[in-house]
Amino acid sequence: MTFNFATIKYTLRQTAMFLSWVPVLYVINEHVTYVGIVEGSSMKPTLNPDSNGSKLDHVLLWKWGCKNINNLHLDDVIFLRSPINPETIYVKRIKAKQGDLVVPRYPDTRSRVLIPVNHLWVEGDNVHSIDSNTYGPVSSGLVLGKATYIIWPWKRFGPISGGGRECRKAYLERELPPEMAEVARMAKVEKKGKVEKVENKVEVGKKAD
Amino acid sequence: MPSILYFAKEGGRVISYAVRAVAFFHMFSMNAFELSSTSGDSMLPTLHVSDDYAIVDKRHKYGRNVHMGDVIVARKPNSPESWVCKRITGMPGDIILIDPSRNTLKGLRDQVAENTTKIEGQEELERSNLNANFNNYVIVPEGHCWVTGDNLTDSIDSRTYSVLPMGLICGKLIRAWYVPRILSFKDQYFRQMDNTYCEENW
Repeated sequence: MTFNFATIKYTLRQTAMFLSWVPVLYVINEHVTYVGIVEGSSMKPTLNPDSNGSKLDHVLLWKWGCKNINNLHLDDVIFLRSPINPETIYVKRIKAKQGDLVVPRYPDTRSRVLIPVNHLWVEGDNVHSIDSNTYGPVSSGLVLGKATYIIWPWKRFGPISGGGRECRKAYLERELPPEMAEVARMAKVEKKGKVEKVENKVEVGKKAD
Repeated sequence: MPSILYFAKEGGRVISYAVRAVAFFHMFSMNAFELSSTSGDSMLPTLHVSDDYAIVDKRHKYGRNVHMGDVIVARKPNSPESWVCKRITGMPGDIILIDPSRNTLKGLRDQVAENTTKIEGQEELERSNLNANFNNYVIVPEGHCWVTGDNLTDSIDSRTYSVLPMGLICGKLIRAWYVPRILSFKDQYFRQMDNTYCEENW
């Protein structure tokens, strides 16, 4: 191996050529597509199904236009910057979008949450995940990308399946089995009748005054 | 006469260099500094309505090392495609009065009302008033901040869309540059964005 001027010049030239493409790669990774690594068990049945955590799922992230709410659909798995700690990134599933009325999970099932404009309700497929039930609806500006394909454990290569629970109030009522739906309808009719009666009473009372 | 292949090759070279240069510039402006024009009157005493160019320090993105009183650029939580420039007036854990300007009028009315008898049900009336929402207090949660424009009378800020997640912050304004006065070399053509926050001891 000889170190003469020509060799050094050639090496420097090749290095510069290589380095000059790094920003292009950066821009593509930042705005178009990237490989995301899923850590933790918050999406457990869908991503990272092994409990020991030795194999981390790699997913293909699509980043182009992912901050626009019209490109984000229900049951999409998204990477988002945590609203609690901006340095961490969460993987969650969109369960409701702007304008939906949501029934939160167990500790707080009495309250209802109306999702504001350009906000999303995200939940992990695992019941024990820290998600919108803790920190509320998140702005779609915090979304980093949409996970489209599992690419690393070769055995599970393919599109990401659906999962999670239904949390929108309108659809929870719609999805009852037929017998239950009939019962719910009857209960509603009864309730409505009661309300009407009470209103009548009030009117009578007013007249009496 | 050079062949068509020669033109294709040279054209490819030019495009390749252009792509790499643009990508490098973009990487620089995403992670180091960016010169961007500002518009709108929500920061009026600090920034002009138009023709004001600002240098944004992107090392403070995602709220890294930002403090009370810093001027920041962030995505709007309820329309992420638009950017806003506001001043941080509340950090995590602070208790914020949503709109102090509305309370001043109420305070005046209370002073007058001290000497007069209270009308029955007045408090309930005030509570049902829509403006009463602005007299509430908010505790800023972890990882969020409270932002307001310097021009409180014409600014859509945290008073409207509540707390701002720090993940939406993209940088901090460090310098501003008013282009129409660039040649006059007088007052504020190139100025530093100072942190105007000072603690008050009551």
